[in-house]
Amino acid sequence: MTVPGPAAPALQIVGLNKYYGPLHVLRDVNLTVRRGEKIVVCGPSGSGKSTMIRCINRLEEHSSGTIIVLGTELNDDVGNIDEIRREVGMVFQHFNLFPHMTVLENCALAPMLVRKVPQAEAEAAARRYLEKVRIPEQAMKYPGQLSGGQQQRVAIARALCMRPEIMLFDEPTSALDPEMISEVLDVMVTLASEGMTMICVTHEMNFARRVADRILFMDRGEIVEEAVPDTFFTAAKNERTRQFLSQILKH
Amino acid sequence: MIPMLKNQKVRNTVQQVLFVGGLAGLVLCGILIARKNLAAQGMTAGFDFLWKSTGWDVNFSLLPASANDPYWWFFLIGILNTLFLGTTGLVLATVFGTIVGLARTSKNELANLLGRTYVDIFRNIPIILQLFFWFAIITHLPAPRAARGVAGFVLSSRGFYLPIPNVAAPAFVAAAFALIAAIALPIWLGRTSQLQRPFGERGTIQLAATAVALALAVVILLVGHASGTPFLDIPALQGLNLRGGLRVSPEFTALSIAMAIYGGSYIGEIVRGGFLSVGKGQVEAANALGLSGWQIFSLIRLPLAMRAMLPILTNQYVWLIKATTLGIAVGFTDFFMIVALAINHAGQTIESIGILMGGFLAINLSLAAIFNRINKAIALKGNQLRGQE
Repeated sequence: MTVPGPAAPALQIVGLNKYYGPLHVLRDVNLTVRRGEKIVVCGPSGSGKSTMIRCINRLEEHSSGTIIVLGTELNDDVGNIDEIRREVGMVFQHFNLFPHMTVLENCALAPMLVRKVPQAEAEAAARRYLEKVRIPEQAMKYPGQLSGGQQQRVAIARALCMRPEIMLFDEPTSALDPEMISEVLDVMVTLASEGMTMICVTHEMNFARRVADRILFMDRGEIVEEAVPDTFFTAAKNERTRQFLSQILKH
Repeated sequence: MIPMLKNQKVRNTVQQVLFVGGLAGLVLCGILIARKNLAAQGMTAGFDFLWKSTGWDVNFSLLPASANDPYWWFFLIGILNTLFLGTTGLVLATVFGTIVGLARTSKNELANLLGRTYVDIFRNIPIILQLFFWFAIITHLPAPRAARGVAGFVLSSRGFYLPIPNVAAPAFVAAAFALIAAIALPIWLGRTSQLQRPFGERGTIQLAATAVALALAVVILLVGHASGTPFLDIPALQGLNLRGGLRVSPEFTALSIAMAIYGGSYIGEIVRGGFLSVGKGQVEAANALGLSGWQIFSLIRLPLAMRAMLPILTNQYVWLIKATTLGIAVGFTDFFMIVALAINHAGQTIESIGILMGGFLAINLSLAAIFNRINKAIALKGNQLRGQE
């Protein structure tokens, strides 16, 4: 089943189950993501979408099933976990920047420690990525001195500095003020156009329409709908999907 | 005049002048009455007694002391003793507290239980009781002639004996400075931005600095070693008592243990709180970036926890310094006990207590000032509320 090397799909999830005690939060999830594919995951809160993408880099341990990232199986093998985490970047709802380090240090830290890149090289790369997310002038500031939108863009740059193959976005715009949402989405659109493999949990439906190759709808721990954007918005098969869409597209 | 009093600024100024004036009057009255009463009893107030010799001795001193020395010299010895005991107690309490705090935040159930039991027991028994307990245990240890030592370290009813290098005092002080440098250099090197090196290499440089400083300390000790004597002065039984080595008195040992264990239970809770205050999100982000457990601990969790701990730790340290005054309970000549003896012998109660209070104020205000500066220097920049859960 495992295809090794560069031919392997970016992500294969087979029969994934996750329990929190008696609570069954992910039910038999199956998902294959090709390299370069953009997936948007949506669904009501508590439907398991965050839990699913947090399983992909072992921030949550799955109870059963198989997760293969870039040909490497995610199991209790610490070496495999480290290898996968090096190749999978993550952006969080609450940014989670390191508040005691400058923006530049936030970005250069992991490449220096994990990839053993010399400091000068890591900082040069960090500045390039900060330019890419359009805040090169904030490099020497601390996260607490930036706006939410700027912090989230730093978080994206920080993840990109590891040169990941896959980027996971866990509701990246949910904690932002409305006027800052578009500056973050713009960066994500640029990233998508450059061919990055992306899995985004988000309720930004315009973003999904514009960028996604496939949209997944999750409810009660299951993927209940999987479709290309056109079909998803106009001809959803599942009743719960249609109800959800009518609620969030009402305004 | 009356309409002017309706002005808020004028009103505030008048109130403050009246308050300060009243307070000054009260203090002045107190001083005048005291002087009159003292004069009526034939006692003279003043600090002349400081230059008289004491006629009594102290049982512990870092400086040479004899009964011929004046009071001011004894007060200085007292302050040094208090500082010495305080520093020993603070360092040991911090070590104990860190271990207990980390045990309590670890995922290991047994470590957790041990940490909790420790805190529950030692935080809830008065420190003076604990002091008597440890003092009783030490004084009931076997007498020197029956005591058994390990590698020259002997615990007996006469105190704690340990081997000490046969080294002249100046070399000893120099070596102590080299040891301090061994700790301070890597911290300074870690902070300076001149060091344009990756974290890994920076660690190597820090280790090298520590190694050089430690080697220097050893060389100083070897050079300062009095020729013709063995390098280590090991305590050995001679007649009924142990000779040689360094003897730490039962009083000092009991006080250090009590301060370390009691203080450790409070500091343990502070350390635990500090680590619990570190956002889960930061640790998750570090995990997602592929940082190792040790890297996450040393670069993310510890620095953030330190910032949360430091203000409360300052409080605890100030408190522990004041606890050195328990020395009088077991007969250790700390500042408080020396002042108490001085009052008994010289009778200058008000002046002596004034000096005692001034001394403690100076020690604790300096301690708080140092910690506040560190606190300010490492404070997180900007608004920390944004983006937090």
